[in-house]
Amino acid sequence: MSLAEPAALPVAASAPPRLHLAKRFSTRFKASLPAYLLLLPSLVFLALFTYGAVGRVFIDALYQRATPKAPVRFVGLDNISAVLADPAFTGAVVNNLIYAVGTAIPSIGLALLFALALSRTNALTSALRAALFLPVLIPMVAASALFLFIFLPNVGLLDYYIGRFLPVLPNWLGDSDIALYAIMVITIWKNAGYYMLFFLAGLQSVPEDVMEAAHLDGAGPFTRFRHIILPELKPTFLFVTVIAILNAVTQVDHVFVMTKGGPSNATNLVLFYIYQQAVEHYDIGKASAATLLTLAALMALTALSFRTMANREGGA
Amino acid sequence: MLFSRRLMLGLAIAGTIAFPALAEGPTEIDLFFPVPVDGKLARDMGTLIKEFNETHPAIKATAVYTGSYDDTLIKTRASIKAGKPPAAVIMSANFLLDMQIENELTNLDSLIAADGTTKDQFLGQFFPALQGNAVIDRSVYGVPFHNSTPLLYINADQAKEAGLDPNKPPQTWAELTDWAKKLTKREGDKVTRWGIAIPCAYDYCGWMMETLTMTNGGRYYNEEFGGEVYYDTPSMQGALTWWNDLVYKHKVHPPGATPGPAVSTSFISGNAAMMMLSTGSLTYVRDNAKFAYKVAFIPRNVRNAVPIGGASLIIPAGQEADKQKAAWTLIKWMTSPEKSGWWSRATGYFAPNMAAYKTPDMVDFLNKNPDAKTAVEQLDVAKPWFATYKTVPVRKTLEDEVMLVLNGKKQPKEALAAAQKAADELLKPYNAETSLKLP
Repeated sequence: MSLAEPAALPVAASAPPRLHLAKRFSTRFKASLPAYLLLLPSLVFLALFTYGAVGRVFIDALYQRATPKAPVRFVGLDNISAVLADPAFTGAVVNNLIYAVGTAIPSIGLALLFALALSRTNALTSALRAALFLPVLIPMVAASALFLFIFLPNVGLLDYYIGRFLPVLPNWLGDSDIALYAIMVITIWKNAGYYMLFFLAGLQSVPEDVMEAAHLDGAGPFTRFRHIILPELKPTFLFVTVIAILNAVTQVDHVFVMTKGGPSNATNLVLFYIYQQAVEHYDIGKASAATLLTLAALMALTALSFRTMANREGGA
Repeated sequence: MLFSRRLMLGLAIAGTIAFPALAEGPTEIDLFFPVPVDGKLARDMGTLIKEFNETHPAIKATAVYTGSYDDTLIKTRASIKAGKPPAAVIMSANFLLDMQIENELTNLDSLIAADGTTKDQFLGQFFPALQGNAVIDRSVYGVPFHNSTPLLYINADQAKEAGLDPNKPPQTWAELTDWAKKLTKREGDKVTRWGIAIPCAYDYCGWMMETLTMTNGGRYYNEEFGGEVYYDTPSMQGALTWWNDLVYKHKVHPPGATPGPAVSTSFISGNAAMMMLSTGSLTYVRDNAKFAYKVAFIPRNVRNAVPIGGASLIIPAGQEADKQKAAWTLIKWMTSPEKSGWWSRATGYFAPNMAAYKTPDMVDFLNKNPDAKTAVEQLDVAKPWFATYKTVPVRKTLEDEVMLVLNGKKQPKEALAAAQKAADELLKPYNAETSLKLP
């Protein structure tokens, strides 16, 4: 980073003569050349696998075929308006919102609870932490295949145990009213242990002396939690919330394995919608347009939350 | 010494550059293959390809596992786009039309003609029911490899217990409804055993709707033209209404959409006394059922008819001539009577090549497993699998509505009208280019 420092120096206020400027520019470039050279390999790979792909999505989103045999032509924003007018897309967005809120809040709540309960390190808590973290280590696809058996109607594990107490056995993944919630359960089960790690780390930064002082002042456990621990954990909360929402949009392996978005689009999420447009409809234009919309929403969300985070840290 | 070794090495490199053909050896080709049913299909494919390579030294074929039928389509399309298509692919039979419309298939007519056979002679090897999905606009685009039809599976022990004769399986919808009622067990309002289960998940659901519609006298789509489906018709309405009645009127069929594996598990565990499922599951049922079972034709309301399922071998477009020829050799070998029969016995699919059933191994096998015969006999009344422009989305419009009906959210009539409307919308661009492009 220090190699690149000259490039970051503020430009002098007065306009220097031309020759002088060119000279200065070249010196500056020379100084930062090693930095650019060191960054070059990353740039090449980023360009190949990230920026290139993003650029391609931008271009693809602007083109469409009118009929199957017709060549692709430039259509501007038509693809984007077609996506926005598609009830399947709006349905997927609504599902995704329910899914994001319904998975983020319970998994973060559980994670905090686990972290508070297991914040002290001893043999028992270590074992419990490992047990709670275990679902994170199982690949989503494998976990989904596992839950497929648990959710089997009539003969699955869940119906075997719960079925005795219910008047009608629910078809967990086949009922369009229940399927989305069944999918959400897996996500919560899988992510709570992961978020617990962040809260455990966050709890380390709660100052001991403040806690002790509060204890001496006669603050009960709840008051200490409400007025010391929670405020100290605010950055962690913010970070975990962003991660949870990103996960809700980018993790659709279980949808793919368990329901394929069904029944009747009840579990269709935005990323799966994009997959369907690209693969089933073979409509790259619409898939790219939907990707751009999702990307824009995610970037806005991330920018907003990191700005809030920076503000908070700056203000503290 | 050193010099001469260097020289030789140099010469060898120069030789490889100058005469690549000499250094190349056998023609290397890839075969993409999906595994649509559970089990040891991938290992069986390895055995098959190994035998091919041993008997054909000029060709080196490699079998590449590509996931489900849908995944195989994705990967094939991706490799065509990348300019490196595989030499041959085992492709779901109802994707061929869509691929032909997108110019992704090699027309096999000239390869057949080069062998000195006519198209009729070539196609004549296969069961007539399979030709509809292999021939498009009177040209051959695919060679049937393994195929299936839906069957009615009956738990014979439970049937006997209910006073029914499993040797006289239900032949009509009325009889089936009656059987299902007698086989359903209840404790109060709670059902502890279902009379019948029919799968409904994406892909399977459309196939079952085609089955029920056909046995009700109807057609799912226009077999001659990819731009029309017949969802909002009396025959399909009757079919969906009957299915709906089984669930909500007679309460002998589990509500909601149940995928194929859940249905077969239910049947195996004795939780469903009858099921409609592919012949492809026959081996699984045979290996796992701890009770006597029977298979029968799908019962009719108007006529006996079923759609075929399964896959065909294709050659993607844009293939080099020598690889195309090698692929064609592989395809002919894989669909020959002996190999076709071997694959059928290994997987449970039926062999598309009619001569396979005359081979001694197959005669033996059918004598030992008479249930495998039912699938072959039903072929007499089989018809093509639905294939339209954008087959998958067009199918999904129907499936989404059928799922709503099975979940008690919609009535069959309005559901089918909505499905028809959505499908027509998807088919519009194709019709604009074909049937509605007027002079």
